[in-house]
Amino acid sequence: MIETGLIATLTAFLSATLRMAMPLTLAGLGETFSEKSGILNIGLEAIMLSGAFFSFIIAFMTQSVLLGVCAGIAGGIAVSSIHAYLSIHCKVNQTIAGLALNFFIMGLTSFLFLIVFGKTTTLPECPVSPKIPIPVLSHIPLIGPVLFNQDLFVYFTFVAIFFAWFFINRTEWGINLHAVGEKPKAADSAGLNVFRIRYLSTIANGFFGGLAGSYLTLGLLGFFMENITSGKGYIALVVVILGRRNPPGILLAALVVGAAEALQFRMQTSGIPVPSQLFTMFPYVITVVVLFLAVGKSREPSALGIPYIRSKR
Amino acid sequence: MERLKSALSYILIIVIILALSVVLILSVGSDVQESFVSFFRGIFGSLYGFSEVLVRATPLVMAGLGVSIGFKTGFINIGAEGQIYLGAIAVTTIAFLLPGLPSVFAILLGITAGFIAGGVWALIPGYLKARFGISEVINTIMFNYIAINILGILVRSVLKDPEYPLPMSPQLPDGYIFPMLMYPTRLHLGFLIAVIAMVLVYVLMWKSAPGYKLRVVGLNQRASLCSGIPVRKYIVLSSLLSGGLAGIAGVGEIAGIHNKLLEGFSPGFGYVAIIVALLGKNNPFGVMAAGLGIAALQVGSLSMQRQAGVPASISWIIMGSIVLLILSRRSLFTFSAESRKEKKV
Amino acid sequence: MSTDSTLLMEDIDKYFFGKAANDKVSLEVKRGEIHALLGENGAGKTTLMNILYGIYQRDAGTITWKGEDVHFESPREAIDNRIGMVHQHFMLVPTLTVSQNITLGLKSEGHPFPNRRSIDEKICEILRTYGVNISPTDKVSSLSVGGEQWVEIIKLLYRNAELLILDEPTAVLTPQETERFFDVLKKLRQEGHSVIIITHRIPEVLAITDRVTILRDGRNVATIKTADTDSVELSHYMIGRELKTISRTPHVVSPQDEGLGLDELAVEENGRAVLGPLSLSIRKGEMIGIAGVDGNGQKHLAEVVLGVRDCSAGKVRLLGKDVSSASIQQRKDLGLGYIAEDRQNDALIMDMDMRENVLLRMYSKREYVRSGFIKYASIHEATKEMIDTYNIKTAGPGKPVRYLSGGNQQKLILARELSGSPPVIVAFHPTRGLDIGATEFVRQKLLERRASGSSILLISADLDEIFSLSDRIAVLFHGRLMAVLENDGNVDVNYLGRLMAGESAGSSSERRVE
Repeated sequence: MIETGLIATLTAFLSATLRMAMPLTLAGLGETFSEKSGILNIGLEAIMLSGAFFSFIIAFMTQSVLLGVCAGIAGGIAVSSIHAYLSIHCKVNQTIAGLALNFFIMGLTSFLFLIVFGKTTTLPECPVSPKIPIPVLSHIPLIGPVLFNQDLFVYFTFVAIFFAWFFINRTEWGINLHAVGEKPKAADSAGLNVFRIRYLSTIANGFFGGLAGSYLTLGLLGFFMENITSGKGYIALVVVILGRRNPPGILLAALVVGAAEALQFRMQTSGIPVPSQLFTMFPYVITVVVLFLAVGKSREPSALGIPYIRSKR
Repeated sequence: MERLKSALSYILIIVIILALSVVLILSVGSDVQESFVSFFRGIFGSLYGFSEVLVRATPLVMAGLGVSIGFKTGFINIGAEGQIYLGAIAVTTIAFLLPGLPSVFAILLGITAGFIAGGVWALIPGYLKARFGISEVINTIMFNYIAINILGILVRSVLKDPEYPLPMSPQLPDGYIFPMLMYPTRLHLGFLIAVIAMVLVYVLMWKSAPGYKLRVVGLNQRASLCSGIPVRKYIVLSSLLSGGLAGIAGVGEIAGIHNKLLEGFSPGFGYVAIIVALLGKNNPFGVMAAGLGIAALQVGSLSMQRQAGVPASISWIIMGSIVLLILSRRSLFTFSAESRKEKKV
Repeated sequence: MSTDSTLLMEDIDKYFFGKAANDKVSLEVKRGEIHALLGENGAGKTTLMNILYGIYQRDAGTITWKGEDVHFESPREAIDNRIGMVHQHFMLVPTLTVSQNITLGLKSEGHPFPNRRSIDEKICEILRTYGVNISPTDKVSSLSVGGEQWVEIIKLLYRNAELLILDEPTAVLTPQETERFFDVLKKLRQEGHSVIIITHRIPEVLAITDRVTILRDGRNVATIKTADTDSVELSHYMIGRELKTISRTPHVVSPQDEGLGLDELAVEENGRAVLGPLSLSIRKGEMIGIAGVDGNGQKHLAEVVLGVRDCSAGKVRLLGKDVSSASIQQRKDLGLGYIAEDRQNDALIMDMDMRENVLLRMYSKREYVRSGFIKYASIHEATKEMIDTYNIKTAGPGKPVRYLSGGNQQKLILARELSGSPPVIVAFHPTRGLDIGATEFVRQKLLERRASGSSILLISADLDEIFSLSDRIAVLFHGRLMAVLENDGNVDVNYLGRLMAGESAGSSSERRVE
C-alpha cells in the first residue's frame, strides 16, 4: 500500500513538473528562434502576459479553448512585432525596448481586465483544455499517466520541440538563421534578407510565447489575474541560456525549473508550519543557481542584441 | 531645422499620448473632461495634492538616481524594487536591534544600513556579471522576487508584531522616524535626502575621477581596460552605489511614510524608477524632473480613479507608451534621406 | 566607350550625411580583364563597388552590366546577375563550415534539405582546379586568414560569378601567397572572368592588372592601360604628388641600454600556447618591427606587453624592471605608450569629447586630477595644445571624437600616447586605414620618438612600413619568433615571406641576396 501511495505521489509530482515546464519550454523555443537571429527579447514576459490575457478573454467570451489559443497567439505576436519593429527598424536598445513593453503590457492587461470584469472579488473562470489520454500508452505505469495523459498543449509542445530541433539543426533555413545571428553582414552579403529573417524569427517568438501564455490560463489555471506570469518570462530566458539555445536542452532546463515549481506547490500544501513565501521564492532561487551553474557552457550568437545597420560607414 | 524637427516630434508624442488617454478614458465609459479636470485637480488642486507628488517622487528619484548610475556604467539594474525592499528590511531590523539611539544617529544609522543592504543586494548580481559575465538583467529581476518573499517571511516571523494578526512589524522606535517637512502633509526628510543625493550624484559622475571612470566603463569596456581602468571593480562599484541609493529609497518609505515594515509598501517603485532613469536620460537633474513628472502622473491617475472611475493602471500604459515612443522617436518622426533609404531595403 | 565593355558605371554620385563619397565617378571594365581601382583610403573605391554590389544605393548615375541597365537593390540581385565581391573584412560566418559558408543564401537542390555530400564534391572539384588545400567540412574559424580569403573566392566561383570584385586582396597574404594568388587571377582571366581589384598599392597594380582607374577624393582622375604607366605617374594620379620616402637614419644604440625586454615570454589561451616562448630586447632609440601574417600572435604580444593579458611564463621588462605582474596603470606610469590596433574600440571613447579622451591617459596624473576631482580647465588646455602641435582638424576640444576623421582620430591617440615622452612605445598597426598624409605623419612621429631615445615595438602587416622604419625585423609565425634580422638594406623580401609562412630560418645561404 505504501508503495502505491509513493507511486501515486511520484506520478502526481512528475506530471506537475511536466506541466509546469511546458510554458517555459514553449516560451524558450520562441526566444531561441529570436535569439538565434540576433534579437534578444527581454519582453518575453510581456509576450506571455499578452498571450495569457487574450486567450483568457476570448475563451471566456466564446467558451472555446481553441479560439482562446488563437487569440493568445495573436496577442503574443502583436507584442513581439512591436519589439521587432523597435529592434530591427528603429534599431533601439533591445533590452530597454523589452522592459518598456513589459510595463506597457502589464498596465494594458490590468486595465483591460478591469474594463471587462470590473472590480470583482471572485475571479471569472474560463474553460480549460481537457486531458486527452492516449489509448494504451497512458496505461503504462508511471510513464503513462505522466506523459500520455495530458492535454493537447503538452503533446503539441513535444512535437514543437522535435520540429524546432530539426529546423535549426538539419535544414538550410537553420543555417541561414545561424548566419544572421552570428554575422549579419556576411549573411546580407550572401544574399540573405537579414531583416526578413529577423522579423520571421520574432514572429515565431510571438507565436510560441503567446502559446505559452495561453497555456498558463487555458491549460494550468483556468483564470486570469494581474501579472499572472510573475516573472515566468524572465525564467524562460534563463531556460534558453541553460538549454544552450537547443530545443531538447531547453526542455531539460525547463524541467529542472518546473520541478522546483511543482515542489513548491507540494510543499505549500504539505502543512509544514513555515511561511509559504519560503517555498514561493524557491523557483527564483533555483533560477539564479542554475544561471550560475550554466556559466561558460553556452555561447551567445555574436550579433545578439546588436541592431543590423546596413549602410553603416 | 533639425531642432525644429526634434521639437515637433516631441509635440507629436504628447499629442499621441493625449489621444491614447482619451481613447482609454472613453473605453471605460468615463467623461473625458471630468477625467482631465480631476487629473489636474489631483496634482495642483490643493497643497496636499501637490505635496503628494513630492512624496511619490521621493522614492522614484532616489531609486531612479541609483538605476541611472548603473545604466551609465553599463550595469542594467532592474532590481531596484528588490533593493528598496532590502533597504526597508535593513532599517527595520537595525531599529529593533538598537532601539534607544538619539534621533540624529538613529536616522543616519538607518540610512547607512539601508544603503548597505540595498547595495549588497545589487552587488551580488554586479559581481556575478563582472566576474562571470552572467546577465545582470535576469539576476536582478530574480532578486526582486526573492526580496519580496524574504520580506513576506520576516513580517510573519521574527519581525512580526505580536499584538496584531496581520503580517507587519511593530511601529519603529521614534528615533528612526524621519521628521516631517511640512505638517500636515506627508512630505518627509526623504525628499530632502533625494535632493542632496541628486547633487552628490552629479558631482560624483561629472566632476570626479571615479565617476569619469564609471562613465568610461559604461561607454567602452575594452578601451577602459586598455587604458588601465579595472573594469570589473568599477562594475561592482557601480552596482553597489546603484543598489545603495535604491536601498535608501526603501528606508525613506518605511521611516518616512509607513513607520513599520509591511508587505506591498512599494507599488512597483523600483520598476517605475527604471522609467524615471530612462526618461531622465541618466542625468541626475533629468532624473529629478522625470521623477516629479511620473509622480504627478501617478497622483493624477489616482485622483482620476477616485473621481472619474478610470483605473489607475492607466498610468502604466501611459508610462510604457511614453518610453516606447521616445525610443522610436527618431525613426518614426524623422524624414531624412538616410532613413528613407533604409526603408527601401 | 568601347563596345567590348562588360560593365559600365557612369556618373555615379553617393552622399553620406551631405558629404560626397562618390562624385560623378565612372568606371568601365572589359570582359576578361583585370582592372585596378586605385586610390588611397577614403578615395571612394569601396563605396563605388558597394554601390555596384547593391549594398549601398546610388544617389545618381547609371550602371550597365552586359548591355543592360541595372540597379541592384541588394547583394542577392548582384549575385543573381553573376557579380561577386570579396570584402576587405571577410563576410564569412566563423562558426559554420567552409561548405555551409559557400552555399549560404543559395537555394541548392533539395532546398531546404540540401544534399551536403554532393555539394561538397562540387566544391572539392573547384578547390582542386585552383590547387587550394582546404576541406569543405572544416570550420571557417579553424582557417588562416589566407584560407578564409580562398573560401571567399571559391564562394564566388561556386556561384558562377563572371565579375569578381576583390577589396585589398593581398593585404593579408605573404609575398609567396600573393604570387600564387596572382597566378589564380591570371587563370581566371583566361577563363573569361573579369576582375576588379580595389587597392592602394601601386606595385600590385603594376604586377597584375591590365588597366587601372584612379580615384581621388571621390572623383575620377584617370583610366589608363597599366602597360603605359609607371609608379611615379600612378602616385601622382593617386595623391597629386610623389610618395614621400620616409626612412630612418641609422644610428648607434647601446646594447646595454634596454627599454623593453621580453624574457622567455609565453601566453596560453584555453590551455593552448598562442605566443612564445620568445625573447626580445629593444634598446633605447631602437625600433623593432614585427612582421607576420595577421593572426599569428601579434595581438597577444601587444596585449601582454600592455598588460591586458597575463603571461603564462616568462617576463616583461620595462626599463629594466620586471612588470610581468604590474597593472596596466603601473606600466603606463613607468612610461609605456600604447597605440592600439583598433582605434575605435581599444583607444577611444567615441561618444566622449576630445578632452575626456585625452583624460583617458591622464586621470591618475596630479596636473589633471586633484583629490579625486578632475581639473577640466587643465585638461582643456592640454587638449588644445595637442590639437595645435599635431595639427588635428576639429571644431574644438569639446567635440565628440566620433566626428573626427580616421586620420585625426589617430593623431589624437598619438598625441595622447606620446605625451610625456614615454621611453617605451608599442605601435600596433599604427597606420592601418589611414590616408597617405596621415600615414606619413604617424611614421614621422614614430621616427622622432626613436631619435629621442624611445624603444619602439612596431607591429604591422605592411611590409613597406616595417622595412622603412625598423632597425631590426622580427618575424612572428604561430606565436613564435622565426628570426630576428638586422634591417641593413639586405633583407630579401622573399626570404621574409618564407619565414612568415613558417619555413624555418635554416638555409642561411638564402638569407642575403647577392
